[in-house]
Amino acid sequence: MTAFKTLARTLAITSLGMTTLMGAATAAQADTLRVGMSGSYYPFTFVERDKLQGFEVDVLNAIGEQTGDDIKFVTASFSGLAGMLDSGRVDTIANQITITPERQEKYAFSEPYVYDGAQVVVRKGNDSIHGVEDLKGKTVIMNLGSNYETLLKSLPYADEINLKTYESNIEQDVALGRADAFVMDRTSASQVIKDKPLPLQLAGQPFSRIENALPFRNDDAGRAQRDRVNEALDTLRDNGTLKEISEKWFGNDITSLPSAEQSEKTGSDT
Amino acid sequence: MQALNLDYMLGLVPILLGYLPLTLGMAAAGMVCALILSCALAVIRVSRLPVLNQAAQVFISFFRGTPLLVQLFLFYYGLPQFLSFLVSINGVTATIMGLTLHFSAYMAESIRAAITGIDRSQTEAAQSIGMTNAQTMRRIILPQATRVATPTLMNYFIDMIKSTSLAFTLGVTELMGATQKEAASSFLYFEAFLVVAVIYWIIVEALSWCQKRLEKRLNRAYQR
Repeated sequence: MTAFKTLARTLAITSLGMTTLMGAATAAQADTLRVGMSGSYYPFTFVERDKLQGFEVDVLNAIGEQTGDDIKFVTASFSGLAGMLDSGRVDTIANQITITPERQEKYAFSEPYVYDGAQVVVRKGNDSIHGVEDLKGKTVIMNLGSNYETLLKSLPYADEINLKTYESNIEQDVALGRADAFVMDRTSASQVIKDKPLPLQLAGQPFSRIENALPFRNDDAGRAQRDRVNEALDTLRDNGTLKEISEKWFGNDITSLPSAEQSEKTGSDT
Repeated sequence: MQALNLDYMLGLVPILLGYLPLTLGMAAAGMVCALILSCALAVIRVSRLPVLNQAAQVFISFFRGTPLLVQLFLFYYGLPQFLSFLVSINGVTATIMGLTLHFSAYMAESIRAAITGIDRSQTEAAQSIGMTNAQTMRRIILPQATRVATPTLMNYFIDMIKSTSLAFTLGVTELMGATQKEAASSFLYFEAFLVVAVIYWIIVEALSWCQKRLEKRLNRAYQR
């Protein structure tokens, strides 16, 4: 029975180690902003050689420097993120969350810090799709729980599109030719095509403007956090930090409204 | 066709191995708890204790009848809506609890089968020399049932190690979660998932070797 004893001892030590680990993870202080992200959305939030990095990471760290909060990043698969926010395990989500009316009913959003467009992406050499109007009869994929699903379903010919949602790896399935197109924000899509070896191309122009912001729980504590973050975002926008971070990752500024649209917005908002 | 990026694969190995203790730790903790719970359930089922037996049946039916991922989501994201203190349970603990509940339902049935598989004459012989029911169970039936159940229980342990890969949906970066993230930034899917598959495979092979040794030991009494 000595084998059993050794096994039992090893397990006891392991579980002891785990308890310490768990204790450390649950100790969340008031001045800690816990930020959920997928860690799988290049180049906004991604892991390379075990290091979490990306545009969102830089922005949130800059916010932390302004507010004095400790920023603690928690990575989980995308479909788990909303649950983590709802159940109070994180305070916000930094993963290119698009503001939608449904989400606004539920969450308290910060002001937008990314302006982007929804983009159709196809396999390289596929010249039959030039934009969202060519998706009839095609298989189009997107991430589970993403806003693009709602966007495509609102098209008048939505019934004729074969929509599928994935947990991850949509880029790979289009590159393999298993699906005809995927939908993502234009910035990430362009960056993936530029930096990575997958045979993909943009199909036409972006078809819908999207604004990304940080969602907080819609209660007193959540709204207070949101207000502090908004103040920090204002400062970062004014002192050029947001622009700097954007240029570091994308080579251009995606954090402010394109000037043409700005005048359009102040003029007649149709 | 692009060639396999061997440098990338080699670079990934030490990074992913860093997550191995967490994966194995969750599986080991889950296995210990599941063994205890499943033995209790099996004994309740075999001795047909009133009320407890029915409760055990419902428990086993639910945890065998629903996917592990559904149970994890229900427990981790669903229940805290009603029982707010559950929020303090973190992903690692929740995964271990999920694995325990899920696998103990399966294991209880294997253990029950192993116990009922021991010939009735053994019980009768034990009772004829004056052993009580509890003594018979502890000294005669369980040691023999252990030998019968070991291969199946090891199978469940192997399954449990692989099931820890669901922990990433609860925000726990374990072996599979780490691989997912690396693959999502490098887009070298084949390379990344091949590396992680080989790591899982080696662990399971090592375990199978241990299983052989253990079975040999348990079989000693039967060798002539």
